[in-house]
Amino acid sequence: MNFLAHLPEERLFDCYLAQRSGETIDPRMADHLSDCEACAARYADLARFMDDLCEDGACEADALFTPERLRAQQQQIARRLEQVGRRARVISFPGQLVRRTMTAPGSHSAPRWVAAAAAAGLFVGVAVGAGYRFGSHPVGLEQTLARQAPLPARGLNPAQLSADDAFLSDLEVALERPHTRELIAFDALTPHVREVTAR
Amino acid sequence: MSADHKPAPGDARDVTADSGTTPSVRRPASAPSGPVSEDTRLAVEIRGLVDRGALDEARERFAELVARHQRRASRIAYQYLRDLSEADEAVQDAFVKVFSHISSYREAWPFEVWFTKILVNGCLDRRKARMRRDRWFVGGEVSRSDEARASAASAPANPEQQLLARERRARIAAAVDRLDGRQRTVFMLSQYGGRTPREISAITGLNESTVRVHLFRAARKLRGLLGGRS
Repeated sequence: MNFLAHLPEERLFDCYLAQRSGETIDPRMADHLSDCEACAARYADLARFMDDLCEDGACEADALFTPERLRAQQQQIARRLEQVGRRARVISFPGQLVRRTMTAPGSHSAPRWVAAAAAAGLFVGVAVGAGYRFGSHPVGLEQTLARQAPLPARGLNPAQLSADDAFLSDLEVALERPHTRELIAFDALTPHVREVTAR
Repeated sequence: MSADHKPAPGDARDVTADSGTTPSVRRPASAPSGPVSEDTRLAVEIRGLVDRGALDEARERFAELVARHQRRASRIAYQYLRDLSEADEAVQDAFVKVFSHISSYREAWPFEVWFTKILVNGCLDRRKARMRRDRWFVGGEVSRSDEARASAASAPANPEQQLLARERRARIAAAVDRLDGRQRTVFMLSQYGGRTPREISAITGLNESTVRVHLFRAARKLRGLLGGRS
């Protein structure tokens, strides 16, 4: 390296890093910096820029992480560390109900007893219901068939039925007919389904 | 490595790759040699206590480590995340992880390096998670309020100077954010974490000369973006 020329930026940065890390600067570069005012000025400028960045960042973070906050952080870390090494706790859901059931005396026999009582109640209910049905309201096969048969239309004569059909037919025609006046001619020319099927 | 092997927090992991991809596993650079630091001795002692099952005593001793590294860790985490609550959580998580995995600590690595590596990995994970979250939600309000609070707390009482300080910090933060992932990590560890290129090499797994190159490029880019002076 020609030390008569000025130091390149990389070398200046190496000097800065060495100085910052507490290492010794290359003696040749140190000599050059002490002899060359231009390089010394550039070095000072670089070091100031880097130090300002460092100081700014540190000030900004320190302003947010106040001593109180750091103390709170320490306490929080200590609380979390207390859980390290402990067995995980299983939280049952729903907590209170399950705990009450588990801690109740004779809780293991209770479900079986309840199930037996429920089965007995069901059996008694079905038996009583069946007896009541067959005893008081006997239902024969004929009555059952009669109940399933369709009911005859009462109060309507054939003339009324044909009038209703005609009305529904008119309604269908009205709904099928296009609403725009321009299409009426086309509609008249177009054979309808009912005309075709009537032929 | 078996399929179900979960790496310990300080395992070799490329902490410099934070551009949205999963960090790859990288063989660590040679651990920095030198005299064993007081923190390292303390960490080894805590490891022994944990191994013996004396957890209460280990917690007490660990509190000393927390007090020593807390401020620096908070600076690094805040510069990474730019959010007070998230940085606070990241620091807490890092300390809890360190304690939980203290049995896997080897004194070949200085404790500071091991801890910083865990912290930076956590910060990178949070940044990635935030990037995913920001795709769906509007973010950044908290960060801006934090920046305002920081300016108000640290700048002089003069409102004009406060405003200028806030603007300057916002410009610096924006410029640092524009750095390439590796450059940003290396720069932050150097400037805000106070780490030497050798230590950064141990943390990131990069070559020491590569670290120097990244640092130089980061500084040059920042000077270009910030106009020579901050």
